[in-house]
Amino acid sequence: MAIKIYGSAMATCTQRVLVTAKQLGVPVEVVGVDFAAKEHKSAEYLKKHPFGQIPYLDDDGFILFESRAIARYLSAAHGDGKLVPKGVKENALFEQAISIENNDFDPHASKLVAERIFGPLFRGTVPDETVASQKQTELEAKLDAYEVILGKYKYLGGNELTLADLFHLPYGTKATLQLKPGAPALNLEDPKRPNVARWWEEISSLPAWKEVQAEEQVAVAAIKKA
Amino acid sequence: MVLKLYGPTVATCTQRVLVVARHLGIPLEVINVDLPKGEHLLPEYLEKQPFGQVPLLDDDGFLVFEGRAIARYLSAEYADGKLIPKGAKENAIFEQAAAVESANFDPFARALADERFFKSLFGGAEPDETVASEQQAKLEAKLDAYEVILARYKYLGGNELTLADLFHLPYGAVISTPASPGAPFVNLEDPKRPNVARWWREISCLPAWKAVSTEAKEVLAAMKRA
Ligand SMILES: N[C@@H](CCC(=O)N[C@@H](CS)C(=O)NCC(=O)O)C(=O)O
Ligand SMILES: N[C@@H](CCC(=O)N[C@@H](CS)C(=O)NCC(=O)O)C(=O)O
Repeated sequence: MAIKIYGSAMATCTQRVLVTAKQLGVPVEVVGVDFAAKEHKSAEYLKKHPFGQIPYLDDDGFILFESRAIARYLSAAHGDGKLVPKGVKENALFEQAISIENNDFDPHASKLVAERIFGPLFRGTVPDETVASQKQTELEAKLDAYEVILGKYKYLGGNELTLADLFHLPYGTKATLQLKPGAPALNLEDPKRPNVARWWEEISSLPAWKEVQAEEQVAVAAIKKA
Repeated sequence: MVLKLYGPTVATCTQRVLVVARHLGIPLEVINVDLPKGEHLLPEYLEKQPFGQVPLLDDDGFLVFEGRAIARYLSAEYADGKLIPKGAKENAIFEQAAAVESANFDPFARALADERFFKSLFGGAEPDETVASEQQAKLEAKLDAYEVILARYKYLGGNELTLADLFHLPYGAVISTPASPGAPFVNLEDPKRPNVARWWREISCLPAWKAVSTEAKEVLAAMKRA
């Protein structure tokens, strides 16, 4: 039975799972959830995911939600534990990186993206730059600490690529996007943080991520046609 | 060499590590970091923790920060992986719970605690109940989903106690204790969520937590006297 991911190729949280699956070489089938029809709040759906969010995984009846937990499961159950270091100390640095992404990156990056990108695209709002630029400032202060870590190690969780790096891709990419030429955006390749720039350039060029982005474009085009 | 944990006993983030260490029976030496004085922003400290936060673990020169990562390291290195389920599926449900705590509990509980309790205690400013009750409403909606999970399993990450349960204790204790009689609080033992109530009662009565919260109260009382 194919592993099913309920979600959307366009949603950042689903993409976090998809890029992991591709990097591990684990095939998954994306099953669309109709957000517009509030399918994720239906009684049927809430049985699978009590918080009413996407994504969730169905692996032959085994149901799991939370994108980062799903990614870890794909590695453990279907990817020989790849992208998750094994030695106790190596694993501790990886878990530190996982927590950094969760606490120091995601909250700021997701609010920034909600304001500058998702608001205008999905709700027709105009970005409030006071809010957005404050989030950007908070995030940039965190990136200064990233620079220190990435000056020491090749990746955020040590010298090997891990899940913690991949987890940055969906919001990181959206935060660097400009809906209009000249619009303010985060620069993750700013030469003032050479190690962050090197890291971001490498992970955002991974073929797995390029494929996820290409699939997003296909999904966007299909919606525009409909 | 004794394990050193840098961070004030009164800080919720330090307590998240302390309760795990106690529960696992791992002795730690707590070294206070004077946050009001800005000790966490001194160059010596930033060299070890580039984000300038507590807690930080020093295990004979091996440094790890981020409370949840430290807790996992303690279990893996000193307690045979206790509080972290091992089978791929059991571990996945645990990781789901760990992600739920991070994404659906901590942000709201923290914002609520900051506004309703810490602002007046540490900042000398009046709490804004509009902000606090908004965070409380968001948290309570998440607790409704907790009720669904806790009706299925004994704990949030399956039928065994795990780190994911313990991670709720510091902020859970703050927000569920009214600052003065009659003051607003989150009732984690509300009979309308019988399974959350059962779960909270059990974990908040664990001897490890009783010990940590008693210590914190003593330190706080000494601070108030000084
Ligand atoms: N922490 C969750 C977050 C999931 C999440 O926020 N999903 C969004 C889409 S990216 C969603 O379903 N939003 C609908 C809602 O929360 O009502 C995860 O990583 O899976
Ligand atoms: N995600 C971190 C959060 C650490 C954190 O926010 N610590 C607070 C105390 S609870 C702190 O160091 N505050 C000082 C500051 O951020 O300037 C963890 O869990 O260790």
